[in-house]
Amino acid sequence: MRNIINSAEVSQHTIKLQQLGAKVQLVNSTLCYVNFSLEGLELQYAYNVNYKGNYFLERIKPYPLALQEVSDEKGVVKIISEDVDKFKNALQSNHSQSFISMAQQISRIFTVFEDTFLNYNIPFEKVEKMYKKILALEFEIDMIREISSEIYSEENKDGKSE
Amino acid sequence: MELYHVVTAIGIFIIIYGVIISEKIHRTTIAVFGAVMLLLFKIITQEQAIDTIDFNTIGLLIGMMIIVSILRRTGAFEYLAIKAAKSVKGDPWKIIAVFSIFTALASALLDNVTTILLIVPITLVITDTLELSPIPFVLPLILASNIGGTATLIGDPPNIMIGSAAGLGFVDFIVNLAPIIVVILAVVILIFRMIYKKQLTITEDKRAKIMAMDENLAIRDAVLLKKGLIVLALTMVGFVLHQYLNFESASVALIGAGLLLLISKVEVEDVLLEIEWPTIFFFTALFILVGGLEAVGVIDFLAQGLLNLTGGDLFFMVILILWGSAIASAFLDNIPFVATMIPLIKSMAAMSAISVTPLWWALALGACLGGNGTLVGASANVIASGMLEKHGQKLGFMSYLKTGFPIMLVSIVLSTIYLIVFYL
Repeated sequence: MRNIINSAEVSQHTIKLQQLGAKVQLVNSTLCYVNFSLEGLELQYAYNVNYKGNYFLERIKPYPLALQEVSDEKGVVKIISEDVDKFKNALQSNHSQSFISMAQQISRIFTVFEDTFLNYNIPFEKVEKMYKKILALEFEIDMIREISSEIYSEENKDGKSE
Repeated sequence: MELYHVVTAIGIFIIIYGVIISEKIHRTTIAVFGAVMLLLFKIITQEQAIDTIDFNTIGLLIGMMIIVSILRRTGAFEYLAIKAAKSVKGDPWKIIAVFSIFTALASALLDNVTTILLIVPITLVITDTLELSPIPFVLPLILASNIGGTATLIGDPPNIMIGSAAGLGFVDFIVNLAPIIVVILAVVILIFRMIYKKQLTITEDKRAKIMAMDENLAIRDAVLLKKGLIVLALTMVGFVLHQYLNFESASVALIGAGLLLLISKVEVEDVLLEIEWPTIFFFTALFILVGGLEAVGVIDFLAQGLLNLTGGDLFFMVILILWGSAIASAFLDNIPFVATMIPLIKSMAAMSAISVTPLWWALALGACLGGNGTLVGASANVIASGMLEKHGQKLGFMSYLKTGFPIMLVSIVLSTIYLIVFYL
């Protein structure tokens, strides 16, 4: 009964979206939620499996990140497995919690940024100022990466955090 | 047959029926459990159980579900609904009237639940656009779907079962039931006109929004639409001719389904996923459960009792079956009720010299129209109220009862007059 009512709700959305000019394609699929608990840190992923062979994978926790669209199940498991490995490794660092907090803050900033972009008329000089600050932050992160030793790569998967 | 078998079969049947009514466990789960209990307690053998399943009913249901699943992908229903709403210039009362007629017609050709699934979403889009409560729109559609479904062999599952068991075809149902259904629908629309005509008003800007809707945007696949309509039309021709061509109605539906699956090129797994398998298994299990009662002689015993009660008087039996099945179907699932009544009527036919054909029409009218009596009387009612609830609108048991039950009584009174005048 629930499935029937849900499918009727999807029909309603479809009609409204079509009237907005959208082409709506419905694909039957299975949504998978994957949870890991690493030393108290919850890692959560979601991916969607459909018969067309596309897997839309994203990390939900500790901070959201669209990982990538992959074409087979092995790819999904490989990406999740590497991601979990990286987190296991990163958690050995004393700064891991700070990095996670910063990543969560960046996610929040993106939401505020999008709200600003879509809902406000911002003067040109302010747009320029924001852009320069973002570039400066990106540059700063690149500089920090350059002076730091790489502890995780394809060749060095067993590297340890300092 | 030993007393142990009789008592066990009756016990299993009553317990399963009780649990189905209580809705504590999914009806399919408990019906399948009851059916396998009959095997476990050796009330019937596996071969006997399979023999009790009416594969004509099952095949007809599956065939029509496949055709509808493919047709739903075309957007034809939404196209027609938007065009209809625009043709009456967005007038709320006229939308209710046109949609009710449209729903009754669709429900005569498709399953009631399917019709509700197709018509209610577009109705909700329209009521959102008009910024009106959807309840005055959806309530008449629920009633119209149950009324329209009564008119044909394929319109409502009880009719499918009755047609298959009694050897009554598509044309038999149209000729015998459609006339009174047209009258009932007209009366019901007039009743709703009295209730809603002056209540529902809209501003010009809302009307303009309806007129701005583009029905062409609703068509998702024009090629599939053409193929679907051709196969649907051929299938309907097949239903009209099936008795003359010596085809079972299930064969017609399955030939149509097979042909449409082949030419539509729709992914077969997607189509089969949309078949209401719980309903199919529910029917299968019910046939076995009732078959168990037949095997131990309970059905014959009840038939004899009914004959004794009515003294074999056809008039009394027709009235009893019509009103009994209407009241029962208003509160109970009409599918298990009809599944039980069918062997009962067949037994009465075997035991007496009376012509039972009017009894089949009384059962069809009572069981199908009775579903309008309460919110739990038919699957279409439950699903429509669930859709309303998801939309943030509550259609409660009592608020439905205030309108649904009197309208059900009116329809049964009209059916009584019809049966008396033309069959008794």
